[in-house]
Amino acid sequence: MLFKFLFAKNEDIPPGSAAVFFGFSSILWFIIGTGLGSFNAAKLAFPDFATGVELFAFGHMRQVHVLAVILGWISMAFAMTMMYMTPSLGNTKLWSEKLGLWTAFNWNIGLSLGLILLWMGITSGREYSDLIWPIDLVVVFGVLVPLGINVWMTIAHRRTQGIYITNWFFGSCIFFVIMVFLVGQSAEMFNLTGLTEAYLTFWFAHNVLGLWITPVAAAIAYYTIPKLTGNPLYSHRIGHLHFWSIIAFYSTPAAHHLMSTPLPEWLKSFASVEGVLILIPAVAFVANILLTMKGRWSMFVENIEIKFSVTGVLLAIPLNMQGGFQQTRAINWYIHGTGWIVAHAHLALLGMSTALEIAAVYFGLQQMLRRKLYSLALANFHFWFFIIGFCIYWISMTIAGLIQGAGKIYEVPYIDVVIAEHPYMIARWVGGSMVFTGNMVWLYNMYMTAREGTVVPKGRYAHELAYER
Amino acid sequence: MAWKLDNPLYSMADEEESRQVIQTWEQEKHGGMWEGNNRLPFPFTFLIGLIILTSFLVTMPIWGARPTAELYVPLVELMDAPEVQRMATNEERMKYITDRAMEIHASAEDSRLTGWLERHPISWVDLQMVADQLREIKAAPGAYQLRDYNVVGDQVVLANFEGSYRDDGLRNRTQPWWDKGYWIDLFYVSYFVLTMVIVCKRLPHFSRKPDMSKAV
Repeated sequence: MLFKFLFAKNEDIPPGSAAVFFGFSSILWFIIGTGLGSFNAAKLAFPDFATGVELFAFGHMRQVHVLAVILGWISMAFAMTMMYMTPSLGNTKLWSEKLGLWTAFNWNIGLSLGLILLWMGITSGREYSDLIWPIDLVVVFGVLVPLGINVWMTIAHRRTQGIYITNWFFGSCIFFVIMVFLVGQSAEMFNLTGLTEAYLTFWFAHNVLGLWITPVAAAIAYYTIPKLTGNPLYSHRIGHLHFWSIIAFYSTPAAHHLMSTPLPEWLKSFASVEGVLILIPAVAFVANILLTMKGRWSMFVENIEIKFSVTGVLLAIPLNMQGGFQQTRAINWYIHGTGWIVAHAHLALLGMSTALEIAAVYFGLQQMLRRKLYSLALANFHFWFFIIGFCIYWISMTIAGLIQGAGKIYEVPYIDVVIAEHPYMIARWVGGSMVFTGNMVWLYNMYMTAREGTVVPKGRYAHELAYER
Repeated sequence: MAWKLDNPLYSMADEEESRQVIQTWEQEKHGGMWEGNNRLPFPFTFLIGLIILTSFLVTMPIWGARPTAELYVPLVELMDAPEVQRMATNEERMKYITDRAMEIHASAEDSRLTGWLERHPISWVDLQMVADQLREIKAAPGAYQLRDYNVVGDQVVLANFEGSYRDDGLRNRTQPWWDKGYWIDLFYVSYFVLTMVIVCKRLPHFSRKPDMSKAV
């Protein structure tokens, strides 16, 4: 239905169309991403599963899973939130619904193309930067720049004097991620090799996390928590501390991903200190949001969006504690290259970030569609499958990582380590599959919300009606 | 936008600017939301100071350092002493030679050795397993010193730390306490703290709370 608006005049497109397009696209990509993750985990748990076909080899499918989640689910959920939060926070309309719709359309086409090429083995061969550089340029100029123009122009046309903190993050993080793509992919574009290539690869990987995934997820919480609780944001000034410390300390420590490489030691020392300082924005963010919850903690039990949001904020605590310290020389030598890192990456992307985005997509779709959620029971089912599945995954991979670390240091024969890890690989598959199952239920719930959800009367919020029949 | 510098740790915004900012917070509704002007609670401020301190301390080679060959050489040299051989149990032997080694380390130039030996105790059996390797390295140290070798289980190996190049073209195998990376961090953190103090103090003082009942 949304496709008909692609060629309509901007004025004729209902507000929120781009957000709805992005919202449903993101859920679909989440299902694809977690489905691939579950498939890949099954291959690690049951080595005889799906063998003999090159395309189903782990080496072909792993990076498709990673990029489907990062560029499909997470980034499209971000775009969805930007399409409705940015205008709402400026008391205005989205600058161009039509541009938003085209961005969503191009994004889906471009990402599908890129992932098919990746699946076929056409890849740059660099972790997280696996897409070939022409596809990277499509991502930058076909997706991120148009998204940025829409967000920046909406902020420029706001009807408020100030700019709310969420929009500081949205506006600046789109700029950062464009820079991160252009600089990070330059290794492939200009055929840079050796240590330069390694450094740029992990400069990209680090900053996609640090200047895109985690700060935009945090920006979403700055919207959803005050909006849903009705409380004012606890502190504008702590928002400053969070924002500027992200810029200062999250953008600099890329070298801590390469502690065992022949990079200059002083660069590793610098990056390692900066890596611990990532705890400053984390403290500011968690304190600001949890203090905003004051007096409304009952909503953590009752309200599905708050349940997901607060879970995401709480997961930011172990995420940053791990992230801050695991990169120091004293710890990194033990856990580097083990499942611990996989667990940590999922804590960031599947735990903290995803929980915040799910909340925003739930809230945004209900608001844009003006429909009450079809089934709160299914939403709760989604929440519990998500959090239990995630915890099983995270804990099992953390333990597997510690076993691998011990095996590495004490030179235990590799096959013995593989045998020791096997139960945790099965647990990983169970946990990931639970998240995947929950997501399918979510898609059904949102589809039914769009089709049959009770219409929300003007002046009311969908979540206010959650317990009304 | 006038700066007020008579009491900069209270606020650097003058009365008129503070009033305007509070008024904006009270009257402006960002899609139905308002912002407060609370300070970061003191325990969190303390925590941030602690994080800055920790970031330096935890990245220096204080924790996680593996035991070096230098640490155990005095123990090996005492192993065959007649008074040690006469002792009845391995525990007695270890206590005796560890106490003597502590005395030797205490008088050494490197003041860290006693602490390291305390944190990396070794049993008689384990010492026997590495003793010959330690004697061999001491007898013919080559380009590296005893401190450049780590004791990992029953092996004595060249430390896997690869630092800057030395004059002879080989890599340093011991991490320095301080390098220019820490200097850059020191500058970077100082400028960040200064900038944040200015940014926060340019806002109205946190004791001035916007009255949300005035919000439209």
